[in-house]
Amino acid sequence: MKIEVLFSEVCNLYGDLANVRYLKACCPQLTIVETDLHTKPRFLSEDIGLVFMGSTTEQGLKLATEALMPWREEIAAKIDAGQRFLAVGNAVDMLTEGIRSDSGLAITGLGLVPGQAKYRMMQRHNSFFLGTFADMEIVGFKSLFGHIQGAGDAEAWFRAVRGVGRDGATAAEGFRRGGLMATSLIGPLLILNPPLTKWLLRRLGLDDTLAFEDAAMDSYRKRVAEFHEESRGWKY
Amino acid sequence: MGKARFLLALWAAKLSIPALKITHHNGTDFPGALALKLCPDFLRYVPRPPKMIAVTGTNGKTTVANMLEDILERRGHRLLTNRAGSNIASGVSTAFIYGSDLLGRTKCDMAVLEIDERSAPRIYPYVKPDYIVVTNLFRDSIMRNAHPGYIADILTANFPRESKLILNADDLISATVAPENDRVYFAIGPMEGDVQECENLLNDMRICPRCAGKLRYDYRRYHHIGHAVCESCGFASPAADYFAHDVDVASGTMALTEAGQDYDYRLIADGVHNIYNMVTVIAALRQLGLTHEEIREGFDHTAILSTRLSRETVGGVDIIMQMSKDKNALACSRNFDAIRHTAGDKELLVMMNCMGVAKNWSENPSWMYDTDFEFLNRDDVVQLVCAGPRARDYKLRLLLAGIPEEKITVEEDEFRAAERLQRKPGHQVYILYGVDGMPLAFRVKAHLKNLLEKGGGAA
Repeated sequence: MKIEVLFSEVCNLYGDLANVRYLKACCPQLTIVETDLHTKPRFLSEDIGLVFMGSTTEQGLKLATEALMPWREEIAAKIDAGQRFLAVGNAVDMLTEGIRSDSGLAITGLGLVPGQAKYRMMQRHNSFFLGTFADMEIVGFKSLFGHIQGAGDAEAWFRAVRGVGRDGATAAEGFRRGGLMATSLIGPLLILNPPLTKWLLRRLGLDDTLAFEDAAMDSYRKRVAEFHEESRGWKY
Repeated sequence: MGKARFLLALWAAKLSIPALKITHHNGTDFPGALALKLCPDFLRYVPRPPKMIAVTGTNGKTTVANMLEDILERRGHRLLTNRAGSNIASGVSTAFIYGSDLLGRTKCDMAVLEIDERSAPRIYPYVKPDYIVVTNLFRDSIMRNAHPGYIADILTANFPRESKLILNADDLISATVAPENDRVYFAIGPMEGDVQECENLLNDMRICPRCAGKLRYDYRRYHHIGHAVCESCGFASPAADYFAHDVDVASGTMALTEAGQDYDYRLIADGVHNIYNMVTVIAALRQLGLTHEEIREGFDHTAILSTRLSRETVGGVDIIMQMSKDKNALACSRNFDAIRHTAGDKELLVMMNCMGVAKNWSENPSWMYDTDFEFLNRDDVVQLVCAGPRARDYKLRLLLAGIPEEKITVEEDEFRAAERLQRKPGHQVYILYGVDGMPLAFRVKAHLKNLLEKGGGAA
């Protein structure tokens, strides 16, 4: 099975790419392929088990959105047909209707999910996130210039218990649409959440034994316990 | 009204100085913070010395500013500096308060200011240096600085148009800031140890800033530092006005070309980052009008203080205190690179935890996955003891780096962690600690010394 990493030359911030390295460590038989900004995404014409896109710079947001825009309709059809696509951090913002910032950044998004990302460039949001998905507790971090407004009741991926969801206020975090799994949480999401990684591996039809499972669970349990402590504020 | 308010703020701030001295609180930013509270645009009215140079950038700004100050002070300049305080608006304001008399007149003939990149919007609208040095731009704190392109945008938006920039041609992120400003560049030509393909996880200049084509590096020092050429449009790293070459660390020499003429220099440090700092200082001092002979003479009386690394041998074990700025992938990766290039067996006490957030928040470990822990996957790194609140995260990261589990120990308590070290004579023990973990790290070192003086390795 192949995992396609989109635009790693720009979508490479905050340790996000470690998610793919971890999947490879869990399943050494996986093949990782990288697609650059000048190439049509392979999942549109090849059998790709999972597409991954991570956080990027403001310039990267422009370039990556431009690179995907010609294939918008095909991408929508693919994910609706069940193509697994994991987007994390501000990669999610590219999938919305657009991105606007108080510094004049204006990007038309792919419109695969509703809402618009609104950035305040000198007021960075930093928080930890404790949420739920299915029967799992999800932990993670947000470090963002802004949130996604106007997504309404679109299907979320996680529900926030502590911390904030996609609009910075309510519990709905991220999006699901067909095979799309999208969250604004940054960094090594799969490494921090071994139950979620097991769930993902099963959905990909793979053995759900994790690399370094004991160590990963040990770290996960400690973080879950910490995030439940009321004495810890979720906002940095 | 503005000027009157400024004078009131200046007097109040000046009055606070003896009070701070009496209460042993001198050296803080309090005078500047007070002045800014009383007069938010205090910096608009501060009297400026006839010549001002600012130093900013991710790494090396303190070292560069200190060297500039040492050399210029020795040449008799009356300097206004923020060396004793911080590099944010309150620290810069404090420097101006010390450098002004009660009538608001400057007492100095030159200012050398270290300025935090993120503080640019609060400082440059008022303080307009004649020269601004940008040492380099790398990733820093995810939470505060996001990514270097973000910082470059802040600098571009806030650098005064009239400031002449002194930029690092080997760093395409900082080299392209504020394109409208007049500028000169410095660089270091090919060196032993250079590579072409990036060995680091952090590689923030992979595509051409002009056409987004792939960049090829003729030589790469580390991360995105080197000489790049776009394979699509021909864009390239700028030519350097101050070009160091023939750097010979063994003999402690280098040459520097300016306007076709070569000038010889004696190295005052051997680390690549400090050679960059030297070349930066040469470029800045040339812009300030010093001759190469005067600069050489200045370096003869200048030392680079190594505050982030200290070494002591106890019971046959070398204890090395290595500050590895927590939450900073670049700083830790550079340290791990140094460790891998140091001969001998090493035991590492990994405790770069951010103690400030350990109790009230929870440290975001994302930076660990941008950090080259893979450099520690070596036979001569014989043991890694992970300590502190993020000990379990460190273990997981080390495992993903391919380090065998039998080499890794988890012990949250830092003192007990020191006891778990092998402490074998002939080994080097590195205590890797974060910025706010320094006091704890030195207590752990004292405990380790005590163990070594009593003799014997770990049970």
